[in-house]
Amino acid sequence: VKILILGAGAVGGYWGARLHQAGIDVTFLLREKRAETVRRNGLVVKSPKTGDVALPVKVVTKANDGGPYDVIILACKGYDLGSAIAAIAPAVGANTTIVPILNGHMHFATLDGRFGREKVAGGLARIGGMLGPNGEILHSGASGVSFGERDGKPPRAALVELDAACTKAGIVGGLNPDINQDLWDKWIMLGAIASMCGAMRGTVGDIMEADEGGAIMAEILEECRAVAAAEGYPPSDKVVGEIRASLTQKGGKSVASILGDIEKGGAVEARSIVGDMLARARKFGVAAPNLRFAYAHLQTYEARRARGGLK
Amino acid sequence: VKLLILGAGAIGGYVGGRLHQGGADVTFLVRPARQQALRDGLVIKSPKGDIIQKVKTVLEGGEGGPYDVVLLTCKAYDLGSAIAAIAPAVGANTTVVPLLNGMRHLDVLDAKFGKDRVAGGLARVGVAMVDGTILHTSPFAAISFGERDGKPPRQALVELDAAVKKSGVDGGLHGNIVQDLWDKWIMLCSLAATNCLMRGSSGDILEADEGRTIVLETVDECHRTAAAAGCDPGEKGLQTIRGFLTVKGSRFTASMLHDLEKGAMVEADQIVGDMIARAKKAGISTPNLRMAYAHLQVYLARRARAG
Repeated sequence: VKILILGAGAVGGYWGARLHQAGIDVTFLLREKRAETVRRNGLVVKSPKTGDVALPVKVVTKANDGGPYDVIILACKGYDLGSAIAAIAPAVGANTTIVPILNGHMHFATLDGRFGREKVAGGLARIGGMLGPNGEILHSGASGVSFGERDGKPPRAALVELDAACTKAGIVGGLNPDINQDLWDKWIMLGAIASMCGAMRGTVGDIMEADEGGAIMAEILEECRAVAAAEGYPPSDKVVGEIRASLTQKGGKSVASILGDIEKGGAVEARSIVGDMLARARKFGVAAPNLRFAYAHLQTYEARRARGGLK
Repeated sequence: VKLLILGAGAIGGYVGGRLHQGGADVTFLVRPARQQALRDGLVIKSPKGDIIQKVKTVLEGGEGGPYDVVLLTCKAYDLGSAIAAIAPAVGANTTVVPLLNGMRHLDVLDAKFGKDRVAGGLARVGVAMVDGTILHTSPFAAISFGERDGKPPRQALVELDAAVKKSGVDGGLHGNIVQDLWDKWIMLCSLAATNCLMRGSSGDILEADEGRTIVLETVDECHRTAAAAGCDPGEKGLQTIRGFLTVKGSRFTASMLHDLEKGAMVEADQIVGDMIARAKKAGISTPNLRMAYAHLQVYLARRARAG
């Protein structure tokens, strides 16, 4: 299977690095500046799991170089979807499958509209990490991916091959027969933690120090759960219980990456992670008072950022 | 009237400096470092005129007394040490006039000095201290004080009023100081809670879809709490507060947000936490203040672990 990965950030970069190490045919589609760094230094990954490596991966800056590709993994942020679509378009052939691993659900309508629903699989990553100051990938533990057919039919050959490649590379997860449920399971977790770490400006442990911190966290998770249920994807009690336990852990070090983005004055996925959850709550008449505060907080941040008023 | 002012920080320095300029007998109770800095004079820069003037300072409340009035201008979280500092200066005929935010300090002061010695008071002065200089930046500079039981004012407060009138500070004796305390608290709590919860100016908050609604709801939570305490500011007072908090493009922020952004201590318990406690006692629900208070407590937890 011939794979193109758009983006070499903490998620796409780590996934691609592991595939590359396993001998899979992987190419990265990168912006000029990122391409130059990776060509010069190799793709640098620092990981407690694999140690530190600098990999001489294949890099292109135009998608029609080196194709055609069987699978295109889209590992951009939600707010970069427009430019990502333009970048991959030349590489999408008749037999190409796109596996987006963006947060939330908003990107599906855009991708389906542009490339046709049959070309777009469901996908997500649970890979922890961030980019270091020199563009190195600082991997911090979790390394799972999940992808599959959104209509629940038997998976196409490209996804079966991608699954085999992930197994070979030691990436856990892989092909998931119920990717839609998994997308919702991930989103309710992310919706809750991103809302709270963003709006409260702290880690799970910090939030638990406030009198009402644990209660508010549990309420916001319940708001997200109710939205998923209304959409026809109620998460199991086991999944909800595990998420609740991890998000209400006294002294917990967990933190959503959105907080790091806010504190460095960067762009945030406010709309795709929180705003769209709130919009769906409204559509179904699900009360979501806490999501409302979180989204207002993030929109205030965006307004202040837009006027150059951060610090 | 002989005045002792605890602290020569932003509010105490400005108000005391103006009273001194107006001819009042003012002494500042300060720490040694501040006394050292004041040897060359108290410096105020203000659109109402810059001044540098020598002022009397003492390091102990027992020095230079007895005093008719002790003006307390500390931050609410420093109240304990402030009480210890002024205690030796509070005699049988001394009136303590606290200019702190919120209301909680009144119970603490009553318990320590007796209710009859503690008047009500507040300051509306837009002022900051930078490198020892008091920078008065806003057009307003007023204090308000009076008897909390609504009785005719005692002699010391009448004399303080006369001193204020000669000083260029606005305001003075107030016939219903408890209402004025609530009016200020509603305004301050709504502003600080929303600015801090959203981490932006009122103008920034109005850019969020629900920003305006959230601000107005927050004012209403404070309003209902005040009304339950018998101090409804009335429709006109509320309109002023609502109007001030919903000015499109406003860059005005509560000083608490500046404190938050520079990692300083904040009066979270006194300005927001105590409003919630009073609302709860009256059976009033305050979902917006709850969120804001949680935000502030998270900030304080993170500050405590130096994150």
